[in-house]
Amino acid sequence: MSRATTSPRKDRLNPPRVLFVTGKGGSGKSTVAAALALALSERRPTTLADLDGHLAAATLLGARPDGDSPARVSETLDVVALSQRTELTSFIRRIVPIAAISDRMLRSRTFGYVTAALPGLEAFLLLERLRIMAGEAALHDRMLVVDAPATGTALELLAVAGGLQGLAPTGTLNRLAGEAQSFLLDIGRFAVLLTVTPEELALREAIDTAARLRATRVRIAGAILNRVPEPLFEEDEIEKIRASGIHHGLAQRRAAEGTAANVARAQLEHAGMTTFELPMLYRAAIGAREVSTLAHKLGDWLTMS
Amino acid sequence: MKRRSLDLDSYRLVVCLGPGGVGKTTISAALAVASASGGRAVDVMTVDPAPRLLDALGLDADASEPRTVALDGVRIRSAAAKRARLRALKLDPKQTFDAIVGRYAPSSTAREAILSNRIYRNLSGALAGVGDYMAMEKLLELASDSATDMVVLDTPPAAEALDFLDAPRRLLELLSSRAVTLLGAPAGLLRQFRLVDLAARAVLSAFDRVTGLNLLRDVQGFVRGFEGMYEGFAERAKRADALLRAPDTAIVLVTTPETARIAQAREFLDALGKAGLSVSAVVVNRAMPPLPDAREITAAKIPPALKQKLKRNLADYAALKERETRSLDALSEALPLGAQLLLSPELDHEPKTLADLASIGTSLRIA
Repeated sequence: MSRATTSPRKDRLNPPRVLFVTGKGGSGKSTVAAALALALSERRPTTLADLDGHLAAATLLGARPDGDSPARVSETLDVVALSQRTELTSFIRRIVPIAAISDRMLRSRTFGYVTAALPGLEAFLLLERLRIMAGEAALHDRMLVVDAPATGTALELLAVAGGLQGLAPTGTLNRLAGEAQSFLLDIGRFAVLLTVTPEELALREAIDTAARLRATRVRIAGAILNRVPEPLFEEDEIEKIRASGIHHGLAQRRAAEGTAANVARAQLEHAGMTTFELPMLYRAAIGAREVSTLAHKLGDWLTMS
Repeated sequence: MKRRSLDLDSYRLVVCLGPGGVGKTTISAALAVASASGGRAVDVMTVDPAPRLLDALGLDADASEPRTVALDGVRIRSAAAKRARLRALKLDPKQTFDAIVGRYAPSSTAREAILSNRIYRNLSGALAGVGDYMAMEKLLELASDSATDMVVLDTPPAAEALDFLDAPRRLLELLSSRAVTLLGAPAGLLRQFRLVDLAARAVLSAFDRVTGLNLLRDVQGFVRGFEGMYEGFAERAKRADALLRAPDTAIVLVTTPETARIAQAREFLDALGKAGLSVSAVVVNRAMPPLPDAREITAAKIPPALKQKLKRNLADYAALKERETRSLDALSEALPLGAQLLLSPELDHEPKTLADLASIGTSLRIA
């Protein structure tokens, strides 16, 4: 069977309601989340939920979401900022409806410690918020892209519902945790997209994260291999450059980065991950134009799916 | 002669702070190796080292007490060779906390009550603040050893600068706070407390009703368990704070040149400044090396097509270098008075050996 006549591959991204973008710090997670939200918004109304604290993804899209209200980027793209702290605040306000008291309590460090001791309450409330947002998105046929925290924290966030179920064997919390857990395990509603760069540590972390997600049966939509260098030199050219001694180090670096990308590609495939590649952008700044370039590339991928 | 960067010999304690994933542990270890190779007796405490780094230091996963690292392949300044010594350990927050409770608990019943309390078990796990506090405890222990010239402390990855430095004070506040006292108080005394404290209790009771977690009971048990231990904690927290502000302590902020990390580093600097803590150096890890001269290409005896490619290659990396330069400029602007900006050039491989670490430590250069 020749390659040219095969039907489109079946394993491409089939986007669920919520795409949860995470990766090692510095792997371009926020840039990819911004570009992905932009690409999706050209097909369907989309919301980007920025959980990153520094609002890097929102800023790249030129949005400044404030508190609870979403910021509009375009007709079809909204950005909303979410944080554990905000979710805890609204939870406490529901229980203590007198604002003066609830505010003072939230400012008290003691209370912070009590919630820290209650494992994952804040994280759970954030997860609960995502579940509710996913439900609302389904009603309006919106897509939800989450710029999640870096992998370590993201894994904790995804594990919290299961943990709470064990801790509260009965009661409302148990029921809510059960619902959050089935949301995370519903492949039509939720999937994780991992960003990874062609570097040893980042690659190892991505593969390790994928294994841990599989163990919890959370769907992995795929991996975005980010910052793949454009190949420039043939092997014999590297030899010539070596012999001439001109810019050998820099040419060697380009070649080594290409090799690293090949290794990453092979290892991600070996780990059974659908992988899409984004190019290294040789630009002095990453801004709206660069995000739009990446969105365009991601758009091709989405069209194929 | 190049300018000396960060005169390690003048410090007794080096605390490396920074966001996660910037190579904080690598820089900590590199500074420790560099100082030991200069003939000093150095301890380095790591928090969450990558497996390779553990190998390089000759540690295994449960080296929670200092172990001597053989300085093989590291050149030692001959005059002081005798004193040169490097020890390394990996912090185990849970074990350290348990040991402290064991030391301060007034009775074995009190100790058991704390150790089996659910709040304690969660507090002393990976949760916010406790790892930080435990690092501080271990640090006091290491710093009080007169046979040690310098301690290098790698800290847990932090979202905010003061997460670590503030840990002793936060724990003290918890243990001494009125609201916590209230949680353990009999109902008859409740009149003495402020509305906000009563609200905290009400919320916890509401949690309990809704969730079935019995949290209130656990918090009460936790606070009661710590009665009588407060003095010991307060004393150590004061000593830790004094140690961090001592003139022979260097606070070193570690970051990488990516735009987002530099923005985070600036927030760290701002918070440290507000807390009155002076930063001795900011280390930018994995900085790009200087680029070669474009004129070399023109003069080279190679085919024109290859020259074109070399020009293109240089232009590509020049753009990335420009991105880095802009980030570093933004960082320089935020640099507090008296702090050095140091660059640690990227390696073409992950550091695997002690020699790799030594070369990182000695190749730090002033930006």
